[in-house]
Amino acid sequence: MLDLQPHHAVAQHYDELYEPDGSPRPHYAPLAASLGRLGRDEILARVQAINTSLLQRGVTFTVYADAAGTERVFPFDVIPRIITAEEWARLERGIGQRVRAINAFLYDVYHGERILRERRIPRELVYSSKNFNREMIDVDVPRDIYVHISGIDLIRDEGGEFLCLEDNCRTPSGISYVLENRDVLKRGFPDLFRNYAVCPVDDYPSRLLDVLRYVAPRGIEQPSVVLLTPGIYNSAYFEHSLLARRMGVELVEGRDLIVLDNFVYVKTTSGLERVDVIYRRIDDDYLDPLYFIPDSSLGVPGLMNAYRAGNVAIANAIGTGVGDDKAIYRFVPEMIRFYLDEEPILNNVPTYDCTDPVQRRHVLANLDKLVVKNTNASGGYGMLMGPFASAEECERFRGLISDNPRDFIAQPVVQLSSSPTLVDGGMVARHVDLRPFALLGRGVDVPPAALTRVALRDGSLVVNSSQGGGSKDTWVLQG
Amino acid sequence: MLSRVADSLFWLGRNVERAESIARILDVNYTRAMDLYSQRDGRSETLWRSVMQCAGFVLEPRISLNGKAAGDCFGFCAFDSENPTSIVSSVRIARTNALSIRSELTTEVWEVINVLYLYVDSQNMRSVLREGPSKFLRRIRDGMQGFAGMSDATMNHGDSWSFLQVGRFLERAYMTARILEAIDVENEPWHESQRLLEMCCASVPFAQQSHHAPEARDALAFIVLARDFPRSLRYCAREIDVCMHRISRSPEGTFATAAEQRLGRLRAMLDYTPIDDVLSDGPRIFARNMVRECEELSRDIEAAYFPRLPMTA
Repeated sequence: MLDLQPHHAVAQHYDELYEPDGSPRPHYAPLAASLGRLGRDEILARVQAINTSLLQRGVTFTVYADAAGTERVFPFDVIPRIITAEEWARLERGIGQRVRAINAFLYDVYHGERILRERRIPRELVYSSKNFNREMIDVDVPRDIYVHISGIDLIRDEGGEFLCLEDNCRTPSGISYVLENRDVLKRGFPDLFRNYAVCPVDDYPSRLLDVLRYVAPRGIEQPSVVLLTPGIYNSAYFEHSLLARRMGVELVEGRDLIVLDNFVYVKTTSGLERVDVIYRRIDDDYLDPLYFIPDSSLGVPGLMNAYRAGNVAIANAIGTGVGDDKAIYRFVPEMIRFYLDEEPILNNVPTYDCTDPVQRRHVLANLDKLVVKNTNASGGYGMLMGPFASAEECERFRGLISDNPRDFIAQPVVQLSSSPTLVDGGMVARHVDLRPFALLGRGVDVPPAALTRVALRDGSLVVNSSQGGGSKDTWVLQG
Repeated sequence: MLSRVADSLFWLGRNVERAESIARILDVNYTRAMDLYSQRDGRSETLWRSVMQCAGFVLEPRISLNGKAAGDCFGFCAFDSENPTSIVSSVRIARTNALSIRSELTTEVWEVINVLYLYVDSQNMRSVLREGPSKFLRRIRDGMQGFAGMSDATMNHGDSWSFLQVGRFLERAYMTARILEAIDVENEPWHESQRLLEMCCASVPFAQQSHHAPEARDALAFIVLARDFPRSLRYCAREIDVCMHRISRSPEGTFATAAEQRLGRLRAMLDYTPIDDVLSDGPRIFARNMVRECEELSRDIEAAYFPRLPMTA
């Protein structure tokens, strides 16, 4: 039988499963009982079968740092992470609020800059953002929607409060793992679902398609939607193909599209066909070689002109990256007050601004206690985990920060909550985060399909797939 | 459908068929080399030369295989990743094509090819030869036939499936023509005809319909002209033609593309010409012409449906 006891007697972080007194939280009790009944050997045999099935299905991602560019299965932990209906209701409201505020901010910085004129956010911070796109100034995007799809990264602090760690407003990935994890868990461990009413996740693709069709240029009744991928060598290609298949839309590469007279067409076996909406999974810089990186072969020459002429919708809009710049992040609560006249429901993690001399001095003096993040990187690349870093690493970042303070922010280390996880045949506590996905169309839709990422290394607080992270099925309980 | 997708389906079909054909050719010849051709009179060498030719490589006569023929040729045709027609290359190319059109394929079809790829990727020549290549080759054939069955049973029989079929049957005709070119059966003992039939998976179907003591020309007639045998040149030409018309939506008996025009000519010849007239210049000249026809047909199809367009108009 599996020992579900946490490995620390007294945890310094919030434990998802156990109350501080060691008894399971009520919503985890039936799960703990089901796992106990299965027994260790049975569980391990089923885990083996699941891993084989994931490999055969090709549920993999590509590791860029790996010279061979090999495909790997994203490690899947079979112990689900459970979120109660009450917790979810609050997250839903908090996420909706953030997304509406960020969208309003994006509209504003590209139309009139009210928030900058009223000096609520420093103008130079926006203008110096690598993802602030001057080509987008005064461009009207369909229905004024910029962040059609976002992934909001949440963590739980020591007291169990959900905090927002970052807003991903460009091309957040991970939803395919949510869909696949649920599917394999239902097949491999049907017994665990007994005594629970879990919200289904499999209508995510149709909810996404609703948003994409909603933003089609005016007057088009049956818009033609495509998903634009960089191709099979992209780390998230599996996700692109899954979403295209489940939405029933074409998965296209840049070379499949062509722009003629400011309209976008796809090359088919029976000639050219119009494209109205592009769900792109390519960064801004690669979208149109005429405007951005000239030697990019991933994009479509002339796409920007078609977009500005209003003949095609692009999701997410071009230029949304300024909304998830890590140096802008600390102003999101301010955006919520400014645009919505509401108080933030989800708090931020305290963040130091390295461009401010006083704060920078504090950061440089406390590098060994802080997390330093590059404001333009993602995926856990280009960051320093102070308490775990070597002296040389700290020195390197000290130089980087002093040279380019705008490129860095620093945050205190938050002890992420932990969840029981199967490692090497035994149950141990590992740190987790939570990435719900928000869809912005007629309103904000937050499907109960969130990704729980888990840091599989003991004590690690880094959950990114590229850095040894795995994932769990996430159960949002029905109210 | 997208031109790029049609392109990938076509080459997916071709490479699946190629891996299956090469696996069968190797199996037939490897087992024969163990008894019938094992005498040291150069016959084993002749046999492996013909295998290499089927795989698209003509060895110059001065290159001697030196008795290592079986291992070297097997390695080249099965495991050499530099050889684009080897089994590992075909499976890898098929899988890459399948991956690039993953959203067009059903889960079943994708998994058959992915599982086979993972299997091939885990094998090496030494261990395969140690336990005898039959198990490995059998697994390749089973996997590829599983692919054919799954695509027939789970995919919509629309344009996607038609392009896949065109690729499969074009490659099949191409391999049949190459086998005919590589083996001289006339003026040879019957066992050479028998080898030809086995390499084309035709020995039992041929035996079932033959009513007298068969001669080499009967075997050739079967491989080229049999109406209902799914690997004969005639059958393949009909299948490709039917699929091409389904794609172009032009009525039968007419043509919308150069490929259909070529197919019409080819079908008329194979449907209405007696075998002695078909082979009037000798079987190998005929085979060489068929190889060329297949190559031209492939180019015609590419030009009609997936031209290598420049990035901008």
